[in-house]
Amino acid sequence: MLDKYECLKKLAARRTDEVVVTTMSVAMPWAELSDGPLDFAHVESAMGHAADFALGLAIAQPERRVLVINGDGSTLMCLGTLVTLAQRPAPNLTMVITENGTYEVTGNQPVPGAERIDYEQICRGAGIENVHTIEDAAQFDAHLEAHFTGTGPQVFIWKIEQASEPVPKPSRPIRERAHSLREALVG
Amino acid sequence: MLSSEKIVHAFEAQGVTHVVGVPDNGSRALFERLWAHPQIEVILTSREGEAFGLASGLYLGGATPLVLIQNTGFFEAGDGFRGTAYNMGIPLVMLVGYRGYKTMEPGAPRVDTAATFFEPTLKAWNIPYTAMHEDADIEQIAGAFAKAQETSLPTAVLIVPETV
Repeated sequence: MLDKYECLKKLAARRTDEVVVTTMSVAMPWAELSDGPLDFAHVESAMGHAADFALGLAIAQPERRVLVINGDGSTLMCLGTLVTLAQRPAPNLTMVITENGTYEVTGNQPVPGAERIDYEQICRGAGIENVHTIEDAAQFDAHLEAHFTGTGPQVFIWKIEQASEPVPKPSRPIRERAHSLREALVG
Repeated sequence: MLSSEKIVHAFEAQGVTHVVGVPDNGSRALFERLWAHPQIEVILTSREGEAFGLASGLYLGGATPLVLIQNTGFFEAGDGFRGTAYNMGIPLVMLVGYRGYKTMEPGAPRVDTAATFFEPTLKAWNIPYTAMHEDADIEQIAGAFAKAQETSLPTAVLIVPETV
């Protein structure tokens, strides 16, 4: 199993000018590592819609890598998005699914189908060919660079340990964060 | 009937780069014309809620998207609309097919709740809207873009008869 905090530290250390969209139990740990205009916490928003939001960014900004770090519960809320990602492929889009089997920020209640779902098969069945399941730190290190350079749409499924992050509370309102992101991307 | 050709011209005049959504009977001709358009890209979503997230990302990335869905999809998209385009303050124009409009006429044999719930919902959600009943109303699309820019919030234009 992976320690998500260690994974995020490694991701932040490698990251340069990519857009990073985070959700739920990853949003605040990532904000402690990086909280600039290109870091967009997709909270106070609509659970399940970070990936389609990130696809829009990636299509509009084809020269810039967009990473979206989604939870398994968030992914389940809009599974059809995996098909949408495949039918309009964005080569610069990387999606991470952090799989811990729970809704962490509301108290680790189990997500539907926890421990039975095979997200890699679901992604492949949706038409996404570049999919990797990562179960330990060595595999993570081996795949770290590909998060930034692999051909999208690509999905990395991080098998992470359960933790106990509280409900995320970003430092700025979502509208302000959104328009800061646009300013950084468009000027 | 509404002219899909004139609607596309209205999109061109606003610099629309992407149309995001899900087709229905009323928008069929419009989608077919858009698929053949050399500059405007059509992006289909699996469900309408995705259209608002995707369009919001497109806008923040510098594009000029438009959402094209049916009112049934608008209901489904509730949280996607609220949590992305609305909360983010995206000046997004959506064209929404008005399924069931004629069933609200006096004497209609049945009433389609997709129609009866529609405008009350738009009002409850504080979404400015106008409706296109004939070709002369297509110019309202320009007004919707102006309103969206003025408020930095989504606006809606309702497609009442089918497009041809």
